[in-house]
Amino acid sequence: MFEREVLEVDILFVGAGPASLAGAIRLRQLLRETGKDASVGVLEKAGEVGAHSLSGAIVDPRALRELFPDKNDQDFPFEAEVWEEHLYYLTGNRKIPFPFIPPSMKHHGCFVASLGKLTRWLGEACEKDGVDIFCGFAGTELLYDGDQVIGVRTGDRGIDKNGTQKPQFEPGADIHAKVVVLGEGTRGSLTKIFLQHHKLMDQRNPQVWAVGVKELWQMPSGSVQPGYVAHTMGFPLGHDVFGGAFLYGMKNDIWDLGLVVGLDYKNPGVDSQHELQRLKTHPWIHSLLKEGKMIAYGAKSLPEGGWYSIPKLTASGAMLIGDSAGFLNGQRLKGIHLAMKSGMLAAETISQALEENNFTETKLKDYEDRMKSSWIRDELWKVRNFHQGFDHGLLGGLTNAGIGLLTGGRGWGFKDRLTSKAGHLQMEKGLKIDRYQDLQFDGTYLFDKVTDVYHSATAHEEDQVPHLHVNEPDICITKCTEEYGNPCNNFCPADVYEMVPDGESQRLQINFSNCVHCKTCDIMDPYQIIDWVPPEGGDGPTWINL
Amino acid sequence: MEILIVLEDNHGSLHRMSKEAIAGAQKMGGSVSALAIGSNAESLAAELSGTDLTEVITVNHDLVSSYNADGYAEVVKQVVETEGPKTIVAGHSYQTRDFMPRVSAKLDIPFIPDIISMDDGFVKQVLNAKLNASVTTGSGQMILSFQSAAFSEDDIVSGECAPRSFDVDLDSSVVRSQSEEPFQEAAGDVDLESADLIVSVGRGIEKEENVPLAFELAEVLGAEVSASRPVVDSGWVESFRQVGSSGQNVSPKLYFSLGISGAIQHVVGMKGSKNIIAVNKDPDAPIFELADYAVVGDLLEIVPKLIEALQTE
Repeated sequence: MFEREVLEVDILFVGAGPASLAGAIRLRQLLRETGKDASVGVLEKAGEVGAHSLSGAIVDPRALRELFPDKNDQDFPFEAEVWEEHLYYLTGNRKIPFPFIPPSMKHHGCFVASLGKLTRWLGEACEKDGVDIFCGFAGTELLYDGDQVIGVRTGDRGIDKNGTQKPQFEPGADIHAKVVVLGEGTRGSLTKIFLQHHKLMDQRNPQVWAVGVKELWQMPSGSVQPGYVAHTMGFPLGHDVFGGAFLYGMKNDIWDLGLVVGLDYKNPGVDSQHELQRLKTHPWIHSLLKEGKMIAYGAKSLPEGGWYSIPKLTASGAMLIGDSAGFLNGQRLKGIHLAMKSGMLAAETISQALEENNFTETKLKDYEDRMKSSWIRDELWKVRNFHQGFDHGLLGGLTNAGIGLLTGGRGWGFKDRLTSKAGHLQMEKGLKIDRYQDLQFDGTYLFDKVTDVYHSATAHEEDQVPHLHVNEPDICITKCTEEYGNPCNNFCPADVYEMVPDGESQRLQINFSNCVHCKTCDIMDPYQIIDWVPPEGGDGPTWINL
Repeated sequence: MEILIVLEDNHGSLHRMSKEAIAGAQKMGGSVSALAIGSNAESLAAELSGTDLTEVITVNHDLVSSYNADGYAEVVKQVVETEGPKTIVAGHSYQTRDFMPRVSAKLDIPFIPDIISMDDGFVKQVLNAKLNASVTTGSGQMILSFQSAAFSEDDIVSGECAPRSFDVDLDSSVVRSQSEEPFQEAAGDVDLESADLIVSVGRGIEKEENVPLAFELAEVLGAEVSASRPVVDSGWVESFRQVGSSGQNVSPKLYFSLGISGAIQHVVGMKGSKNIIAVNKDPDAPIFELADYAVVGDLLEIVPKLIEALQTE
């Protein structure tokens, strides 16, 4: 047997994204104001802050301005202010501008940014402020005393693929904290268990998700204007698949080209990475990118459900912030400012809880009240039925969104709350259609999946238990092959899941070292038998500016 | 003395990468000496008697009769302190990786490892071999190690040189480990990075029962066997034989690729090979863009015939 190290901190944030980092900074500010001291730690599974952060992104500076009242917009690590914006409807070879851009989709006053850069910047601010960030450590278990969360266990290192200890075995540590703040991002692995354990999604709409895939293109000098923004609908997704593309001009002549695909499509053959390649076959995109070189790739899921999919935010000793709680405005295509604000509001409650030395649910639920009287609620309430409308296709969704603008967000103009069902339930049996027969990967402009994955610079220690647990692998080769045609091969944007011939039959091969930590499999598997758990700390993509 | 090459003993004779290091050092110019350590030091020096070197310094001491990191690091330190070479050079072998960082730390001399070529600086691959970085140091002294096949032993300038024995001052407080007889072929003892010939097997091998075919071919060729990830993942070949971004980087004189499609993750691990023969069923396999000799066909048909032909030869 071995002894586990026990570490004590006062407050522990899990996941060094914008929500946690803003929360930690806000907490240190409040402690300074009240003349108190408390230790604040942040756990991060990536080898360094920002390496697992991916977004578009267009950032509403509101939360940053609140968090750093002494700073100007020029001090923030943005690429550029949005100076030109377009919204197009794409057909296979044309682009048609929308007659007007609805106010809720205007990005005037916002900034094009790389989330990786922003989180690195926030991470440095945290460390200057005395926050301890533990990189390369993933939370794998919540620790309880009765029903009170009292800490997080980090993952063991040095376990081989058969589950036995290697010579360099190092047990994970138990980090005890008065409050554990889950800011794991989209579909967090601890969050998933936490939501179920405390039944926090009761009476909520199930969360619905999308997956964003993205390539960075290095263009010749002087060809990209930072701050140029274009969004599209239509091609390549068509009217039946929720989503759209984005093209943002970054510094240093880089185009960020991405595609968001709703994870509530019917055809099990939909493949987000392939759709991104199809997007590049559009003459307009081709004309923009043809002189360039693809330099990076990534994918990440995002919670699109909106207001009615936000869980109850607290339990005794624990809180949910950022994407873990679903703070994302699907209509504005923005969540970073909401994530940061949620972390900051959680910090305000924590500061009081420290004062009163009360970390039970009765005190922590104050955070939910703060959120409901903040601008997070104002913003999300107005678009509370946005995503649900798209269950009726692109035209239905746009109609509902349009009416919503006039009625303060009522569904179809009269319903306060539209319901929805989980996205994986929308997938239809026996409907797998190959949308990519005409797609020819040439390795220089259109890429097959493994080549894209290479550009995510993802790496995992290969001698470990695969971190993708398929709980009933028999289903894959029997029921799933028959009913859905193994959609894991398609929905995974990193070629992790592969059906390979095995004698007369086939078997599921899990190339877990390709994983880019997007969590799509955990979300979209029609039988819900895939559990994404963290691999050894430090493993995963090495994103720099995604 | 301007350059000192630390030689490596490979079961009594000079390691191939040491010869390549000599070629590299000669290319750098200036006076070049070599250092041979261990019970075979004299015979290693004798191997070099026809080579254009200033001298071969030999060190033989009970505590370094065979390789150990503590002892080697201390010997190199003492020789460098006495002789004062500007540059210390070695092949980038497992052994070098083991002891050379200690030399660097002991003497506070910067170490630029795994160099593939030289321009104004020393070129090494970074970021998964996506980029080449040219590295220099502002320090008066430096340590270099050359990647396998960065230089060719065919380019060694011949001439003559004499051995000179060097006395070191070692005791067991410095050399904390005791050397025993070298033994061969422990699991994982395959040194792919310095192999001349490699037979590499990919998913085209189809099933585990076919894997021995690759080993048979390797045996008749005198080659090592490596594999791409799917084959290792399936447990058909040991993981230390994996070539690619999550395995080893190899650069043999001949890379015999069997049933490997040539995904970029594999290619970065073997694109430095001098000659590539690829066998694959799929005429569009990306490996063919890289191969010097391309065979479109089923390896299960081709390889047995090849083995037969090689055997009768």
